[in-house]
Amino acid sequence: MGRRGGHDKGWFQLDNAAMMYSAIQSGNYSAVYRFSAVMTKEVDTQALQRAIDRTLPRFPGFHVKIRKGVFWYYFEPDDSPGPFLQKDIQNPCQPVYFQNKDQLIRFFYYRHRISMEVFHALADGGGALVLFKTLLAVYLRELGEEIPNQEGILDVEEAPDPQEWEDAYARYTRKRVRLGRSDPKAYPCTGTPEPFYTLNVTMGFVSVQALRQVAKGHGASITEYLAAVLIQSILARQRREGRRRELPVALAIPINLRPYFPSRTLRNFILTVRPSIDPELGDYTLEEIISQVHHHMRLHINRQEMQGVITRNVFFQRFLPLQLIPVPVKNFVVDLAYRLAGNRPYSTTYTNPGAFRVPKEMEPHIQHMEVVLGQSYAPRVNCASISYGDTMEITFAGTVKETDVERDFFRTLVRDGLHVKVTSNRRE
Amino acid sequence: MSYCVNCGVELDKDAARCPLCQTPVVNPVCPVDTTIPPNFPVERREVEPVNRRELALLLTAMLGCAGGCCVLLNVLFWWREMPWSAIVAGACAMLWVWTVVPLLLRRVPSLVLVGLDLLAVAGFLYLIALAVDGLDWLVRLALPIWFGCGVVLLFLWYILPRRSILSRCMLILGGCVVLMLWLELCIDLFLGSYQPMWSIVVAAVGLTLVLPLLVIRYRPDLRREVRRRFHF
Repeated sequence: MGRRGGHDKGWFQLDNAAMMYSAIQSGNYSAVYRFSAVMTKEVDTQALQRAIDRTLPRFPGFHVKIRKGVFWYYFEPDDSPGPFLQKDIQNPCQPVYFQNKDQLIRFFYYRHRISMEVFHALADGGGALVLFKTLLAVYLRELGEEIPNQEGILDVEEAPDPQEWEDAYARYTRKRVRLGRSDPKAYPCTGTPEPFYTLNVTMGFVSVQALRQVAKGHGASITEYLAAVLIQSILARQRREGRRRELPVALAIPINLRPYFPSRTLRNFILTVRPSIDPELGDYTLEEIISQVHHHMRLHINRQEMQGVITRNVFFQRFLPLQLIPVPVKNFVVDLAYRLAGNRPYSTTYTNPGAFRVPKEMEPHIQHMEVVLGQSYAPRVNCASISYGDTMEITFAGTVKETDVERDFFRTLVRDGLHVKVTSNRRE
Repeated sequence: MSYCVNCGVELDKDAARCPLCQTPVVNPVCPVDTTIPPNFPVERREVEPVNRRELALLLTAMLGCAGGCCVLLNVLFWWREMPWSAIVAGACAMLWVWTVVPLLLRRVPSLVLVGLDLLAVAGFLYLIALAVDGLDWLVRLALPIWFGCGVVLLFLWYILPRRSILSRCMLILGGCVVLMLWLELCIDLFLGSYQPMWSIVVAAVGLTLVLPLLVIRYRPDLRREVRRRFHF
């Protein structure tokens, strides 16, 4: 919270990840994700709007506008009224247009479902879930329920804590920088693009207990097992295409850094790992893919390696010649760098924010949770999952017509003895 | 509840097809319930896209200012006897056609836009000829060369996207050969009589490259062999 950050002047700098997301945000890339809670009763819109109005002041970092400076974007507190609750739409996670002064956080309702969409420059999934959980608690209190401030729910009567808005990347930067090597190109897993402004969402629901048992049977965690099944589905798709030379299939799996680097920040604090399978080396069975993913994640998720990546990213951000480049040019450079280093080496993204835990007083009011990722540059599906109680929800979302990746994915789960319920917003 | 017979997944009560494989749901015991509200809203929203007209307006203003100022300076102050500003204004107009027209005519096929770009080049050449009093070289040299370049470019623009790499190489090489032959013909006729020399050498080299590619392209065994030897 130094002077340089500008917090004492009513504005604050974007963190390292936020700079990237704000630079690459465009009409064909949506750095927006959505969390939804499906309640047991229909949503009371007035109570929910009151809850939003009471909760947001506790989270000043979410109620901001993005402004364009000469060299960087920056956040400024948003004094305008809102955000206002809106009726939900069929095509979620629409891109944010800075020119149109779009809200960076949106709230929607549809029957039993409460949804919150967040522009990724504001916060990562871990930070946004704290806000969402607190909002649900305040909403239920508005309906007359007694909900304690437990399981990560913040007290909305308290003043905002400055530590929740620190740039944790900057705090955990080392002095010595080691420049990394770029990752090779991965199979792009693209398909036929849908007309503009379409986001096809397919959700699958699985029992967490059953899934854990199956994953354990393979000697892996739930995340590792689902990531391996996804890789297998993409490998099968590439094989069906009959490419002369098959490319590696690699996933971008965001890792929450808070368990490794203590921080209370609600802003971005994630890095990605890249488990990959190269089919040119030969055919892999599911067991072998799971083993590769399992060992890759155990090998590469460690403090030292992750701190090296944080240092490298922040070094570029603080490198004076780069700092002096004006924003439009910088946007172009960051966009190009993202396409080469952030998009090209990955087949798709798989994110698992983990279990959504709430106080036991809230449990009877929530059926299940949902998560949706916005559209990528290329027409392909992204995968995300979240668990609540005994329900694991797995979402495939993208601007692609074909459904073969999610079809193979869910069929594999069914073959492994899991009961899967599927629903989709696709129009028949 | 119904299950997809192909995928084995449970479906929504109102699902008429499996969302994964599009297999229709036929379940006499539990028919599709169309009365319940859908699981997702049906209303779509489209965020207002980036206004390309504003960018077009900005470019028009910039190019218009540059061209207009030069014309004014030419008329009022510098070298009034020579219409040099016509060249600058013509260049601005050509740039306008190249940059602003694609922004305004987004649904027009790219072939038409390339044709417009070529017409803009012809207009620019005409202005240069007017400014330097060179209608002779325009008619006898510049326009024939422009015509040849235009025909080859439009042909390649139309035909290349649907071809394999081998075919593209052949077509580009072939286009270059035709262009060089036409170029020497135009230059020679402008200078006096047609005496082909260097373009024949270029054509011979080009054809020596095209013919093997043609054979490889239409002989599957050869194509496989080349792929094996030159794989990357």
